[in-house]
Amino acid sequence: MLNKMLFSFVLLLCFTFSPLTFADEISARQVVEDFQNELLAIMKEGKALGFKGRYDKLDVAVKKSHDLPKIARSVVGKQWEELSAEQQAKLEQVFSQLSVSAYAHNFKDYSGEIFTFISEEEASRGGQVIHTNLHIPGERDVKFDYWMKKKADDWRINNIIADGVSDFALKRSEYASVLSKEGFDALIAKITEKIDKYAAQ
Amino acid sequence: MFHAGRLKCSNPVIHCTLLISFTLLAGGCASTSQPADQNNSTAAKTGNKDGSSNVDPYESFNRSMFRFNDHLDDYIAKPISDAYLWVTPGFLKSGVTNFFSNLKDINVVLNDHMQGKFGQGIEDTGRFLTNSTVGVLGLFDVASELGLNKHEEDFGQTLAVWGVPQGAYLVLPILGPTTARGVPGGVFDVAANPTSYVGMPVNLVSMLNTRANAEGALKFIDEASIDPYVFTREAFLQNQKHLINDGKVDANVEVQPLEYDIDSEVDEMAATRKAQSAAGEKNSSANNTDRSLDNAVIALNNASQSMEEAVTKLDKLNKKHSRRHFKVKNRGNATAPKAYQ
Repeated sequence: MLNKMLFSFVLLLCFTFSPLTFADEISARQVVEDFQNELLAIMKEGKALGFKGRYDKLDVAVKKSHDLPKIARSVVGKQWEELSAEQQAKLEQVFSQLSVSAYAHNFKDYSGEIFTFISEEEASRGGQVIHTNLHIPGERDVKFDYWMKKKADDWRINNIIADGVSDFALKRSEYASVLSKEGFDALIAKITEKIDKYAAQ
Repeated sequence: MFHAGRLKCSNPVIHCTLLISFTLLAGGCASTSQPADQNNSTAAKTGNKDGSSNVDPYESFNRSMFRFNDHLDDYIAKPISDAYLWVTPGFLKSGVTNFFSNLKDINVVLNDHMQGKFGQGIEDTGRFLTNSTVGVLGLFDVASELGLNKHEEDFGQTLAVWGVPQGAYLVLPILGPTTARGVPGGVFDVAANPTSYVGMPVNLVSMLNTRANAEGALKFIDEASIDPYVFTREAFLQNQKHLINDGKVDANVEVQPLEYDIDSEVDEMAATRKAQSAAGEKNSSANNTDRSLDNAVIALNNASQSMEEAVTKLDKLNKKHSRRHFKVKNRGNATAPKAYQ
């Protein structure tokens, strides 16, 4: 009898709290780990998928976990406001293509790589940093730090720092340089050229 | 979006580190651990409109040096390195790399101590002794297998730890990216490396090995960058800072000003402009040094231009040669030679 009561109590508890559990947000760490797992899965069937196959799968995975529109607009800094709506849309589009293509090109197959979580910490302005480690058999480990910010209610990757080198800072410097020296059309042309090259290899 | 790797056999990030630390040889330069110049590390932070940053006042000179090095690599270093990679079996390549890396560990031990990292110093001494004995004069990296991992320390980093400011970014002929602080750092590193004292042939093998190991990184830069000069500069400076801090990330330093604030950026620009015009009035005497530097830059640009002319000629020669080669081969058998496909 006692057992039965206990059981129904537990059951009741479950029901009472389950909506809460469902409503609970996915943590920043979870977003990173989900993405890394998806990436590894795509690498494992990378050869069979080919570039196009990897691209299509990564397109979903990357857009779900990264805040690409925000990265695209902040990567050109204040010059964003000087662009026409059409140019802004174009930049967002090629930037997102470039990001996915780069993943599809660089993670083409699997040779025993493992991502491990190291730690997480609060960052400035309500962000979080997820520190992870990429182990590649026969090579030195690479540190991957993911800078996370909330977009509405979801954590999104805003930047990745690999062994101290920030992807965002690199791109921002490059784009600023090209924009000021050669202008918007040249920037788009150069990004498109990179996308084509990634696809061709 | 991070192009983190040609993961198949080698990781470009690692290669980037390799390329950069070596980059080309005299190496050891450093970025900064000083909060005062942390702002300088990226153009992103300084927000200069042309993408240049305070850290790169000699950009025009550096760019021509960068082009010069690039051509030198295309026409001399890369072909030799490709040939070396092609003919040398894997175990020999890693043996050569391990051998020179082991000799560099002497310098690592010295700098461990100068930076006050005594524990790491003892570890690295053990590493050097193990590899020099059990590892057959350093040909095998036995120490890593035993858990004594390689550390990257050089005199440029030591100077940074001692509080020497980074100074301007510089691209040197053949030697590649460095900073004002990295120049004395590099001289010390060369002096502390036994390879420097054994004569030219060994040095050449060491250089070749360095170039061959940088192949992945160079390919990565080529694939990923839309402005290779800026890409190399930023990656170099950030990686140096990473090495100086021994990989510790400070989450409170805004690495990425993602919430860009237009008003504050405009204010900042106005303030810089005001400061510049004020400085301009004050420092008219400093203009003389500027002018002599400008002259040097012009001279170097000229040198770079004549280099480019030479490169164009080489290109033409190369085309002629390949066409003739193609014909000869075609006469012999109907298939096109692989090398020129």
